[in-house]
Amino acid sequence: MQDFKLKPMKCELNYLSKSDGSAILSQGDTVVLASVNGPMDIKTVNQSIEKATLEVLFCSKEGKPSVADRYKENIIRHTCETAILGCLYPRTGITLTIQELENYGGLLTCAVNCACLALINSGVGMRHAVAALSCCVDGAGELVLEPTHAQATAARARLHFVFDSREKSLVTGFTEGTFSEGTYEEALARCRAASDLVFAFYRDIVSNYCHVI
Amino acid sequence: MTEVYKHIHPSKYFNDYINQDVRPDGRDFDQQRDVIININGITSADASAIVKCGNTTVVCGIKLELARPKAEEPDIGFLISNVELLPLCSSKFRPGPPSDYAQVISNIVSDIVINSKCVDLKDLCVVTDKLAWVIYCDLVCLDYDGSIVDACIIALITSLKTLSLPTVTYDNETEEVKVDTGVKIPLQVHGLPVATSFGIYHKLPRNIILADPSAYEEEMCGGIGANLIVCWNKGLFCGIQKFGGCNLSTEDEKRTISLAKQRCKLVEQVIETCIKNGEVK
Amino acid sequence: MPLDYKRFNGPEDSVSYKRFTADYLKSYDELHSELIDETGHRKDGRAMDEARPMYVRGNFVSQAKGSSYIEMRGTKVVCSVFDPREIVHQNEFSTVGLLFCEVKFAPFACKRQRQSHVPDSEEKALSVALRKAVGPTVCCQLFANFQIDIFVYIIESDGSCLAAAITAAGLALANAAVPMFDVVTASSVAIIGDKIFIDPTEDEEHLAMISPDTNTNHGVITMARLNGLMQIADFRQIGSLDIECILKVTDILEQECQKVFPKIQKTLVGYVKNGIMEQKRLSEEGKAREAKLKDKMLEWRSSIVNNSV
Repeated sequence: MQDFKLKPMKCELNYLSKSDGSAILSQGDTVVLASVNGPMDIKTVNQSIEKATLEVLFCSKEGKPSVADRYKENIIRHTCETAILGCLYPRTGITLTIQELENYGGLLTCAVNCACLALINSGVGMRHAVAALSCCVDGAGELVLEPTHAQATAARARLHFVFDSREKSLVTGFTEGTFSEGTYEEALARCRAASDLVFAFYRDIVSNYCHVI
Repeated sequence: MTEVYKHIHPSKYFNDYINQDVRPDGRDFDQQRDVIININGITSADASAIVKCGNTTVVCGIKLELARPKAEEPDIGFLISNVELLPLCSSKFRPGPPSDYAQVISNIVSDIVINSKCVDLKDLCVVTDKLAWVIYCDLVCLDYDGSIVDACIIALITSLKTLSLPTVTYDNETEEVKVDTGVKIPLQVHGLPVATSFGIYHKLPRNIILADPSAYEEEMCGGIGANLIVCWNKGLFCGIQKFGGCNLSTEDEKRTISLAKQRCKLVEQVIETCIKNGEVK
Repeated sequence: MPLDYKRFNGPEDSVSYKRFTADYLKSYDELHSELIDETGHRKDGRAMDEARPMYVRGNFVSQAKGSSYIEMRGTKVVCSVFDPREIVHQNEFSTVGLLFCEVKFAPFACKRQRQSHVPDSEEKALSVALRKAVGPTVCCQLFANFQIDIFVYIIESDGSCLAAAITAAGLALANAAVPMFDVVTASSVAIIGDKIFIDPTEDEEHLAMISPDTNTNHGVITMARLNGLMQIADFRQIGSLDIECILKVTDILEQECQKVFPKIQKTLVGYVKNGIMEQKRLSEEGKAREAKLKDKMLEWRSSIVNNSV
């Protein structure tokens, strides 16, 4: 068993007083704030008779919308949709708002983790928790888990994976750059093993929060 | 009668087919649809390709423009690709600015092109800090029947491969630009990325992987859009995207990767023969 | 121009390279003299009164209820029509159905500069013209409070776009089995001085509209016609023309529309034939399946009886 080292994570649950659930999470220097509202009434056109409709809003630091933001929203929405037990709340909507505060690499993985914590905090029924991890291939072809900002920008490829807490199967994956099949598999295996640390962190945070109340 | 059944019980209809180990359109789970390519059919564009994967039809038209390079990167040109999902190609899309889904597809396609490095942006620079080519690739979907990214990438790469740039002379003193369309240099395209889409259908005891899903199959696998897109480019991956649908086990993943590799060889052949035939004409 | 946040944008100052080619700017007279050669033929070798060959097909878009594709050399148009749907955001009940038409150019459709994504005035004008031309032929009273969407996409434009769009829309509507009074076809001409160009190309249309002289005839006329009923559905003129000329051109246009009509008819009849054959085949297959099932049922029953005995 390798000794994995992740970036220091700090989190505060219920950071916002007016939302149903919220979390602020920092991974290294990257900071993201997420808030969850719902299940609540939404417009009839958006309602689904089978499950709750999840709406994700990603606000970047600059404030201007862009195509890349829509892509991030899509990834977060798909990931959280598999995690939430949406069939418990048919004909309702759940809104998830994510605000980027600081970006020093690994923004999207931090956003996914933060969204998961906010969902746990809101008390929405969930199938499983999710943990996002990233990994990059440096110039020499070596894998670096949870790269720093400098490492990530210099890297040949960056791979990001999201795993579920029950079977550790792949929920979401997205990559940048080019890489070989072997690298992909190794990165996947490493991130999968390291996901335990993230889940342990979730457990810590939630149990601490329980002590407070 | 079957049509009515399909509308009333869409998921049961689909499930009945899957239980018989066949897909509603008669394909096997691994089987992909045929690819048809037509190049340079549109004379008003500088290069163009029309691609049909089954029913899915995508037109790619390239328009060339000249501009001043960015000050922070004075020696590179621009490659701008956008995907347009017209209201005419499916009742799922409404007129107006691009929907969120169209933007996601645009982002995926543009990412694959950038990551595969198939066009060296430095080739597009004419005079450092003064003049560079802007390649506008507009991908338009005329018929949306699933696996849109596959068709977009084939259309885009084929038209890039047939594109040639006119020669430009730039006078440093008068800043006068002259373009000679008589002499054209083909654009260098390195590699040939091919994307392959998969749908993952939830079924016990194990999930079913559907290669090259149609629009109806995509809907059954958890909403619009494919669940897994693997892009293979001459021995290297240049993008593996997985979202939505069911969670993926390791063995399923290996299978999809080997399928994507097979598909890549086939598509490569189709594109190359097409370009060869086009040149003969 | 405001920045488009929903697409990838290129640099703001980019211009088409054609601006810098030698033959970008030409005077009116130069262009005018190029239109017709010594033998009286046009640039593409056609005679003055010769329309371009037309390729027509329906069922082009698998996801639409009805669709069509029309190609006239450099002009390529796709049209699709969807099922009638309830009009959204409307409080009052409307007794007649609505038509919603949208005409769009591909960004690479025009030879000169790249078309912007934002709908421009030309696209809007074409959309309105299309609605007016197709409106009279659709039985709107049959679907009260519903609207039918007609989308036209011009992949490549080389003149006579509106005529192609109207003909395509007529075919797509019929293909979608929308109740109609008649098949609508359209055709256009460009007039420069005493010359009449039938089915004009982009260059001819352009020149007919920018004539510097106001005294001579110049302009473009597009006419849509209901051929069975022998009625004119829409008549659209741009430019300045005298009455005699218009009367003359109207006759020519009527003939041209009539020439397109049999092509559309033939295509439609072909689809109806195929549809009937398909239905026959399906019902026969269904019957065969039922018979097989019945046999199996009998077998099963008899086996049960045997077992119990």
